[in-house]
Amino acid sequence: MDAVLALALGTWQLLAQLSGEINGSLNLVGYGLAAVGPGIGIGIVVGNAITAMVRQPEMEGTVRTTMFLGIAFTEALALIGFVLFFIG
Amino acid sequence: MVEALTSFIRDDVAKGIIGVQDGAKYAPYLLSIFLFILVGNLFEVTPLINFPITSRMAIPAFLALVTWVIFVFIGFAKNGFSYLLDTVWPKSVPIALRWLVGIIELVSVFVLRPITLAVRLFANMVAGHLMLTLLLASGVIFVQHVGDIGLRAGIGVVWFVFGLGIFVFEIVVAILQAYIFTLLSAVYIQTSIHPAH
Repeated sequence: MDAVLALALGTWQLLAQLSGEINGSLNLVGYGLAAVGPGIGIGIVVGNAITAMVRQPEMEGTVRTTMFLGIAFTEALALIGFVLFFIG
Repeated sequence: MVEALTSFIRDDVAKGIIGVQDGAKYAPYLLSIFLFILVGNLFEVTPLINFPITSRMAIPAFLALVTWVIFVFIGFAKNGFSYLLDTVWPKSVPIALRWLVGIIELVSVFVLRPITLAVRLFANMVAGHLMLTLLLASGVIFVQHVGDIGLRAGIGVVWFVFGLGIFVFEIVVAILQAYIFTLLSAVYIQTSIHPAH
């Protein structure tokens, strides 16, 4: 176990020496991470709204309004990430 | 057209969300912010202007602040001090979790609501404006430098056409964001009249 650990540590140090510092915008990585959750969330919201509209077409107006509300709440996180991308 | 917009805000948003009796009272405010934000957003896709006034933080922040003042005032006016008390000490939650839910509710209702309301409109408009500017301007610049880079300038035409596609998308976004701001204002007013259950 120790040998494996030492090997992994050595490999890591070698890689770190070879590659040097990681360059580029960390803000961009942060925004990418912030966009993952809301992307999945909006997919779930809209998908379920479509299911509801198909099952009960007479409720379409209500479902659509609620869908926009859900999208708006979910989207807020991605947009906060977008703003932090600029000010961070 | 104006009549359709007015009756849409009054019947669908105000009366549909807030309720038939109370809704009519808040319809003028909702209609004002809807039209103001709509016109401000549509400057983004107006040729030769191409700049949404709502993409400067002051305007969405002020509008969100007005909505915040209105829904907090209504909350206290309709429910008295129990509006604040029910928020920090919700009766419908098991007692061991009440303090935690209370803190989360307090922050989300009085702090996060106006911030996200303002940031949502602002960030959508900034993102759309940036995207349009980048695509259309890179299209124009590539084509202008056709003498330096030769046939590769043809990529500029592709960018420009893609930008025009985004243009149509941004018209939808401009209308949708005005609608969402109005809708959320109505929902916040409604939750202040009838607090959480």
